[in-house]
Amino acid sequence: MRKVDLVYTRVRTEEKLLLEALRRRDCAVNMVADSGQVLSVDRQRVSDADTVLMRSMSFTRARYLATFLELKGARVLNSARTISLCGDKALTCAALAAKGVPMPWAFVAFDEDACLDAIETKGYPVVTKPVLGSWGRMVARLDSRSAAEGVLAMRFGTGGAQDHVALVQEYVDKPGYDLRVYVIGRAVGGLRRRSEHWVTNTARGAVPERYEVPVVHAKLAEAAAEAVGGDMVAVDLLETRGGDLYVNEINHCVEFARSIEATGVPLPDLIADYVVTGAGGGRG
Amino acid sequence: MQVQNPTTESVTPNQCPLCAQQVPGANRMVGEVLSCDGCSAELEVVGLNPLRLEEAPEVEEDWGE
Repeated sequence: MRKVDLVYTRVRTEEKLLLEALRRRDCAVNMVADSGQVLSVDRQRVSDADTVLMRSMSFTRARYLATFLELKGARVLNSARTISLCGDKALTCAALAAKGVPMPWAFVAFDEDACLDAIETKGYPVVTKPVLGSWGRMVARLDSRSAAEGVLAMRFGTGGAQDHVALVQEYVDKPGYDLRVYVIGRAVGGLRRRSEHWVTNTARGAVPERYEVPVVHAKLAEAAAEAVGGDMVAVDLLETRGGDLYVNEINHCVEFARSIEATGVPLPDLIADYVVTGAGGGRG
Repeated sequence: MQVQNPTTESVTPNQCPLCAQQVPGANRMVGEVLSCDGCSAELEVVGLNPLRLEEAPEVEEDWGE
């Protein structure tokens, strides 16, 4: 019987479905709350599980837990490296650029005036987002110098050192939707997220709909997953009105509760199959 | 790995802390998120035997994909 540790912050719909899918495959699943973990910094094993399925909602906890569990010999999905890269949007961009994966142009800046000068050189509109943000929070489109001055004043005037990094990206004029391709070892399906708003997170009200993933989109998503060493990730794609295709972001803890019916992609079963077969073993 | 079993200040067992609706307690897990049938509040299971519930916490800074 395969043993799986499922690490969680909260047992949401996703974690319940994953638990059921693993149990249907005769897995012995140990539910592990991330908040209760105390891990000594050494190579002593803490679990006899074959695989740790990292489902912590907290990027901080997931990154550290995966790092120390790997130190202790665990096979963690996704790996600490993948979590670290995907959880930081600037590092995601760097990993994609290193592999030549197409994405919107982007830069990072560490000073308000320098950042404003660079934006002025590029021209408006641009998008800026916190490197550690999620669910579309604090993502801003800057249409003018006055908007940029206001947002950058807040970016660099509040928070701590980690907040004082501006990631600025090309604004991509989407045709009313973006695309998400799920990669579980390979591309297994996706969804289109339609919204009147330029932010197309389902957490922000975008409506998920069925989308048959063309081969070219699947290959791009797989290349993006490969760039971050991701075993099971959701790759967000932007399609321009001119037909160009870019990778925007990669998500290491795939959420699907709002979209599983629309997509028809049996993600919990696909993830459970991947865990059970021991596939991957770490891409990166 | 140790399995956490948090203990926190809570309300009357088996009831929604917001509207007092009875919540079925069978097969629950600590950390489970559920929706109250009475007031639709998002609740989190914080204890078992007896079932104890709290309003689910606000979104934290580094949560989400």
